[in-house]
Amino acid sequence: MRSNSEVRRRSRERPPSLTPAPVNGIASLVLPGLGQILARRIGRGLLILASLASIIGLLAWRIVALAHRQPTAVAMLIRALNRRPFFIGAMLVGTVLLWLWSAWDAYREAQPGQRGGAFIFVLILALFFGLGWQISEIDLYKAVTELSDTWPLLSKVLWPWGAATVQVTETMEAKAPIQVPCSDDPPAPPEETPGEPHLKAEPMCGNLSDLDEDNNVVPGTTLTLNGKNFDPEKETQIWWRPPTGGEFRIRQEREYVAVQTDDQGAFQIDVVMPYRLVPPSAKGPQIHFVIARQISDTGAVRLSEPLLLSIERMVETIFLGMMATAFGIVLAVPTSFLAARNLMSGSWLSIGVYYVTRGIMNIVRSIEPLIWVIIAAQWVGLGPFAGIIALTIHTIAALGKLYSEAIESIDAGPIEAIQATGATGLQTIMYAVVPQMIPPFVSFSIYRWDINVRMSTVVGLVGGGGIGFLLVQYIRLLNFRAAGIAVWFIAITVAILDYVSAEIRERFV
Amino acid sequence: MLEVKNLTKIYDDGTVALRNVSFTVHDGEFLIIIGLSGSGKSTLLRCINRLIQPTEGQIVWDGMDVTAADASELRKIRRQIGMIFQHFNLVRRSKVITNVIAGRLGYVSQWSSLLHRFPKEDRQKALAALERLGIADQAQKRADELSGGQQQRVGIARALMQDPKIILADEPVASLDPVLAHSILGHLEMLNKEEGISILCSLHYLDLVQQYASRVIGLRAGEIVYRGTQQEIRAMTDEEFKDIYGQEAVRVGAGLGTSVGGGA
Repeated sequence: MRSNSEVRRRSRERPPSLTPAPVNGIASLVLPGLGQILARRIGRGLLILASLASIIGLLAWRIVALAHRQPTAVAMLIRALNRRPFFIGAMLVGTVLLWLWSAWDAYREAQPGQRGGAFIFVLILALFFGLGWQISEIDLYKAVTELSDTWPLLSKVLWPWGAATVQVTETMEAKAPIQVPCSDDPPAPPEETPGEPHLKAEPMCGNLSDLDEDNNVVPGTTLTLNGKNFDPEKETQIWWRPPTGGEFRIRQEREYVAVQTDDQGAFQIDVVMPYRLVPPSAKGPQIHFVIARQISDTGAVRLSEPLLLSIERMVETIFLGMMATAFGIVLAVPTSFLAARNLMSGSWLSIGVYYVTRGIMNIVRSIEPLIWVIIAAQWVGLGPFAGIIALTIHTIAALGKLYSEAIESIDAGPIEAIQATGATGLQTIMYAVVPQMIPPFVSFSIYRWDINVRMSTVVGLVGGGGIGFLLVQYIRLLNFRAAGIAVWFIAITVAILDYVSAEIRERFV
Repeated sequence: MLEVKNLTKIYDDGTVALRNVSFTVHDGEFLIIIGLSGSGKSTLLRCINRLIQPTEGQIVWDGMDVTAADASELRKIRRQIGMIFQHFNLVRRSKVITNVIAGRLGYVSQWSSLLHRFPKEDRQKALAALERLGIADQAQKRADELSGGQQQRVGIARALMQDPKIILADEPVASLDPVLAHSILGHLEMLNKEEGISILCSLHYLDLVQQYASRVIGLRAGEIVYRGTQQEIRAMTDEEFKDIYGQEAVRVGAGLGTSVGGGA
């Protein structure tokens, strides 16, 4: 006890400074930290020097970043001060203060019975946080004022169910062939069937709209369309289908062309043939179609494509996680035996295998599945299989470690007891080893399945298939309602899985 | 009858655990081995059913040479020798009944036992054994849900399932409260008296040794340093005890479970 307090007292009485206190102060004014080092406070001195050096370095970097086009250093500083007066100003003042304070600190440290105090470290921390704030581009003002911009997006993601269903529509249409350009061999007019909608175009050939050299529109042939046997008193849309496919609604004067049918279900309208780029390789007359189309709600509702796709991909994701876990378990079991110290401590060779296995497993485990997906996608192409490979690789390493630790912690007592009953080797394994292994194996495996399903959504983002793949596509298409549906499915699945896996593990452990 | 002749065990690291140990356990005896921790008691018991391979010497069980037995002969010998342990050595996560019925493994067919199939009589026998030890109501619980005393009784039930002619007990009460020690040794005594099962037991507590032993051998540093009859051990003084345990031993009075420990 006595020697303890002596040690403490001795440590309080520091050896005297090498130089008189004012010299220390001046030394630190020249090179911050030097005075402290001379006062035999080497750690403190080096810390102050390193801190000040990095603060000045980082500040210089920020000034250049703010004003890199300026020719001279002074011009840069002025430009940076103009752009961020508070930040640059405060940092300059703070740095100068730190420099001066380090001199004061050295002066105090050099005097017997005096200490520099902790203020200098508070100052250093404050300067680092100031730099951190600017380097990471934190902008609270923007965060508050532009918060409302997130709402249109967020509301779609949070409640996307408006896009979960679509109205079922019924289409009534008739089409007429148009030859482009006219030739001696005109197309046959469409046949008339009583009761069925019918469309007649006059003339039945012509030229598409075109652009002249000044990019002015040269209108194409005007077609007179006569329709009959459509639904009466109803809007009818006019569409165009080129032979290359990809039909589109015709616009005239920037408006979609539409016509109201009369009480007989007939209409007449003039339409200028639309502009469409025809590939130079397409020679000779081609047949386009003009289409009249009525679309009506049936009142029925069906599940939307994003919803169905999300369900489909979610199922794919769950199975992706399951398959990866299954492959992982199958391969992790033998690996874990090689990585269990108690099994491998027999000879130098087996110890070598143990260290190599452990080493490889640690490396594989420390590489994120996201990276493994990129490698696997090179190997087997984008899609769920790449995801399975990536997750399997990671699972082997992660489970192998957990399993091997379970093997290492096995209790030898029951093995001895079962052997003593006259049991065979197999019986001993079955009655003394397996019961001890199963609970941790099951527990870890289910935990891993849980992780893998969660990971498989992330893995999809970089091309590993599953719902993540769908999600990232919807986000890139700015289809936030559909993305919201996918997000909801992920959240629901993960929550259910979390609960289920916790329950199962509860039973086994 | 169990005969141990000139048994020596030297571990791979050169430790001599047993040196030239010879003794005989006659049928129906309650032979207690005393000695400090590290004196070789556990090694001795484990050499008898060859859980540990003896270095030299011979063990003869009912005329069969245990030391020379091949694997299948050894299993037939082992199944006649029950064993209970200081730490019970139950499979903690298995049910009590599963632990007990494992005592039949030496008798049943290997392949059906791997599927946990046992003859009906064996199940009844297991329940009867638990009944006898007063823990029949715990049969369906997991072994680790039981108290220490109950777990040791499960251990005895497991040994009983082997229809043993001898039970090796390796410090069966060392990890139990002194109060429970009498209960456990009482059960062993009952088996000894009623069934004529020989007991070879290592113990620490002097009071217990004096009460239960029909004969005693003392081990020190792997050698037998004392042999005594029931009368001799009951008349034993602290001085004689110190001789067995070595001069550093001090008898620590702790009421019921008085024991002799190593130097403080």
